[in-house]
Amino acid sequence: MTAASRRAPANALPRILGPIRPRPRWTEARLLALAAIALVVGSVSLRLGLEGEFGLANAAGLGIYLGALGLAHLAQVLAGRRTDQVLLPVVGLLGGISLLLMQRLPQGLVTLGEGEAALGLGDVQLVWLVLGIAVTTTIAIVVRSDAWLRRYKYTWAAVGIALLLLTFIFGADVAGQRLTLRLGPIGGQPSELLKVILVVFLAGYLSENRPLLIEQDTRLGPLRLPPLPYLAPMVAMWAIALGIVVIQRDLGAALLFFAVFLALTYAATGRLSLVVIGLVLFLAGSALMANLFEHVRDRIDIWLDPFADPLGAGYQIVQSLHAFARGGLLGTGLGNGLPMVGGRLPIPEIHTDFPLAALGEELGLVGVIAILGLYFVVIQRGLRIGASAADDFRAILATGLALIVGVQAFIIAAGNLKVLPLTGVTLPFVSYGGSSLLANAVVVGLLLALSDRGVEPPPPPSSATGWRRRIQRGSA
Amino acid sequence: MDPFLLVIWIIRLLFLALLYLFLARVVGSLLRDLRAAAREPGASPGRLVVVESPAGEPEAGRSFDLDAITTLGRDVNNAIVIDDPFASTEHAVLTFRGRSWYVEDLESTNGTFVNGRAVAGVSPLGFGDEVSIGQVRLRLERARST
Amino acid sequence: MLATTSRRRPLGRTIVHVALALTVAFGTLAAAGGYWAVIKAPELVRSPLDPAVIQAARTVPRGTILDRDGEVLARNQKDANGELFRVYRGESISQVVGYASSRYGRAGLELAYDAELSGLGGDPVSDALRKFGTDPYDPKDLTLALSLELQRAAVRALGDRKGAVVMLDPRNGEVLAMASTPTYSASALADPATADRTFKALQEDEDEPLLPRATLGRYVPGSVFKIVTAIAGLGSGAVTPRTTYAEQPGAEEDGLVVDGFRIRDGHHLFTGSERLDLVGATQVSCNIWYALTGLETGGADLVEYAERLGFGEPLPFDLPTAISQVTNGSGDDPGGFVDDVELANAAYGQGETFVTPLQMALVASTVASGGELRRPRLVTAMTGERGTQTIGPHTVRRVLDGGDAAAITEAMVAAVETERGQQYTSGAKVPGVTTAGKSGTAELGGRGEPHSWFIGFAPAEAPRVAIAVLVEEAGRGAEVAAPMAGNLMELWLDSSE
Repeated sequence: MTAASRRAPANALPRILGPIRPRPRWTEARLLALAAIALVVGSVSLRLGLEGEFGLANAAGLGIYLGALGLAHLAQVLAGRRTDQVLLPVVGLLGGISLLLMQRLPQGLVTLGEGEAALGLGDVQLVWLVLGIAVTTTIAIVVRSDAWLRRYKYTWAAVGIALLLLTFIFGADVAGQRLTLRLGPIGGQPSELLKVILVVFLAGYLSENRPLLIEQDTRLGPLRLPPLPYLAPMVAMWAIALGIVVIQRDLGAALLFFAVFLALTYAATGRLSLVVIGLVLFLAGSALMANLFEHVRDRIDIWLDPFADPLGAGYQIVQSLHAFARGGLLGTGLGNGLPMVGGRLPIPEIHTDFPLAALGEELGLVGVIAILGLYFVVIQRGLRIGASAADDFRAILATGLALIVGVQAFIIAAGNLKVLPLTGVTLPFVSYGGSSLLANAVVVGLLLALSDRGVEPPPPPSSATGWRRRIQRGSA
Repeated sequence: MDPFLLVIWIIRLLFLALLYLFLARVVGSLLRDLRAAAREPGASPGRLVVVESPAGEPEAGRSFDLDAITTLGRDVNNAIVIDDPFASTEHAVLTFRGRSWYVEDLESTNGTFVNGRAVAGVSPLGFGDEVSIGQVRLRLERARST
Repeated sequence: MLATTSRRRPLGRTIVHVALALTVAFGTLAAAGGYWAVIKAPELVRSPLDPAVIQAARTVPRGTILDRDGEVLARNQKDANGELFRVYRGESISQVVGYASSRYGRAGLELAYDAELSGLGGDPVSDALRKFGTDPYDPKDLTLALSLELQRAAVRALGDRKGAVVMLDPRNGEVLAMASTPTYSASALADPATADRTFKALQEDEDEPLLPRATLGRYVPGSVFKIVTAIAGLGSGAVTPRTTYAEQPGAEEDGLVVDGFRIRDGHHLFTGSERLDLVGATQVSCNIWYALTGLETGGADLVEYAERLGFGEPLPFDLPTAISQVTNGSGDDPGGFVDDVELANAAYGQGETFVTPLQMALVASTVASGGELRRPRLVTAMTGERGTQTIGPHTVRRVLDGGDAAAITEAMVAAVETERGQQYTSGAKVPGVTTAGKSGTAELGGRGEPHSWFIGFAPAEAPRVAIAVLVEEAGRGAEVAAPMAGNLMELWLDSSE
């Protein structure tokens, strides 16, 4: 017995920590360099659009951001893990586009502090972006075991529900929605973090019960269902989603939770019947909501025909569509769009709910499709990590994390484009907002950690005697 | 056309073009990755066949497709449950790292044996090797080609 | 609780399904983006709700509007604050050109061509290229077919009566004059200093001066509709120019009974027992001949030919138009008529028939052009930074063949040129020029004086102008509308030679 083997962790998993040695990440370096070039060109274009002169728009801000990305890359090189090399550049480019957009919008939309030291929209977003990069990198390097997630899934679920309840009770009402929880000077939207916790819980629950959910049947008419007691979480989820809509008036979060839940359940069990039931429940719930609650019905009416009241209820979405139309194919160019009328931006809440419309105007359809493509790469990467994960828990977790990003991006983009009713979720990595950026940073960090393909070459067995015995046997 | 205007044009188009160049490079590296994955052998790196099991749990002759980490022991939370009086709750773990299999005895009461020899700490395991836990004997084999 | 079983599927396959679903979802987004940014874009960027349009209206000079001789109809002026406002050339053009006011929006051509005048309009390709310039606006000057001189004469002729005059060039559909009275001062609406007061007064005016009667007014046509009936009868082959009806002379005295309803006429004193054909019936505006022709033609063909002339839907025109109708379509008989009584009444323009003056001018123009319906055109050219884009003549469709058109022309010439006809069209003849025409006296069911109508064209052998005149509640067509039309056609033919 060597000392190393005695330190075997209590969770019965072997140490996978090998000796740390730097490992170059050339793909990541090349992609990051390309992203940096693109962002510098974008910044020049923005300065030209805003002021008509050459140079970088807010050179210091861009420098800090690119520096942070570079440091994140270096840190991962030093850590030497064989993690994914595509996610960081892609998300970094999205964050950079977000930075350009926030620098371009009127800085007074958000201010932190007072007087000369006050930070405007672009600066505040920069702070959150850099914090997000730090969080992502830290998680990507430090998280080597998923036991703490796997083990305590019910604890996580409890934490999530506690967060939700706290928001219900102590949350501050903003624009009729109770989403923000304040703790002294720090405010945040727990629902952003809740979605990550939810996926962790689901991954734990589904991976543990996967055999059962697949194997056993309860017949209900033509449907073959898993044993009914195991459907309880689904019903619970449904109830939570309804609760969110009713109490928090947050249709977007409810839609996101439900869609991720359904997709994940399908991914884990391969049972279409569950998806069918989920959709039926969803439609029934929606119909019920639309009948019971005016704000839900209003949202749906606005969605069906925003042009019926273009200056009132339908204003935001109509203006969003106008922005896409003004952009056309190639866009007006960064800094050239978004005509101000009476000193106001054409779309209210543009920095949180409509960044895609703003980008649609200034970068055009071509730019929007590129941005959708970036999201698609993130999703594809996440699902790929899931598909090649070592076990069910990791597979479901990675799939769920990818789904959070993908479904959320879809919901808000669809809202901007009148494909779905508009709901107030953020565009991951692009919308302004600390909670959203940090929560998505956690998602990316976890995906990176999960993508670790182990250390190569295989570590020597910690027991020297093992080698010796093997050699002896081989020579014998 | 005003040359300054032309420069503005070019820079705007360049930004869009760079976005697509980036996407193209990303997709390129994803495809390379996929091709590499396609060359790897089947999903499971190996399987464990039950050679002898007096208690019938696991039943003899049964084969388990192995994940990268497979725990063995008497507790139901183990990936392979060994219902044997001489097995510990958390008895041993099989891990696949790089391209090799390792077995680690989790300080079980009665020890883990490879081809009849007691395992101390982590020990490499080859295909065809037999692992004994209590009275249960299991053999590591290559995964069936899918 | 054991992991390996027959039904366990690897997670990979379901993940692929999830990936496929997301691919479809993102594909939908890209398609939606294309829909709004490309397909719907031309409509949205011209909308007055678009902030870019609103912004441009305050800062970018609008294009000027010129008449066919280059007379400026609308131009820009700066107010004390440096904001731009519009000034218009007199009141006669107000319902055509409309107004552009920072407070009360737009009307007329200022509304219809808002995007072009403010410089946002254009084809998608040059739009895309233009966005890369520093100045995204390219306001276009509009050149109209309208003659300011003729327009002013038409408004002067209508005087303080309510009515409309539409004059077209039948050869190419150019709108030479399009007057509606009463007029209003568009300049006073556009000038911020007087806008509020003016708008309030206009809103309260019972004569509805803001209503462009020529395009949006709908009137009972009376006998001018007989030309539509003639087109339908000849076009469908139901009648020929020689067709006569045995029962017609006898019915003149006491009226023709259709399903118990008595259709009356007022001309039996001149025609006696004469059996009238197309020319004779048009000459004396014989209700009975036309009612019988309508019944002979049938509701379906009458409505179909009317629709070929532009009835039943908004006209293809620069300005919005009201929909002219033969019947309100509530009945079950062919064409939507309730019964033969309604069909017979409609055939001489007294059923549930309502028309716009512009539509009737198109009827005259179609006969004049030998049977082809040409799109009426106000704007003939748009001039911007990158040159001039002309809007050429466009033939919408052939309504009837040249022979039938010639027969109807002959009848309309008889109505204006012969002594017998002139009792109904006095003063419509342009001296020295063969003139074709038809008057109408639209009874309003006992309420007040009838509307006075005239449609016609000249010279009959090679028409250069077609006209429709409507004067609300002014009495017989022969007395008011016909001489007005004759004078205006004469003025145009003299000045354009």
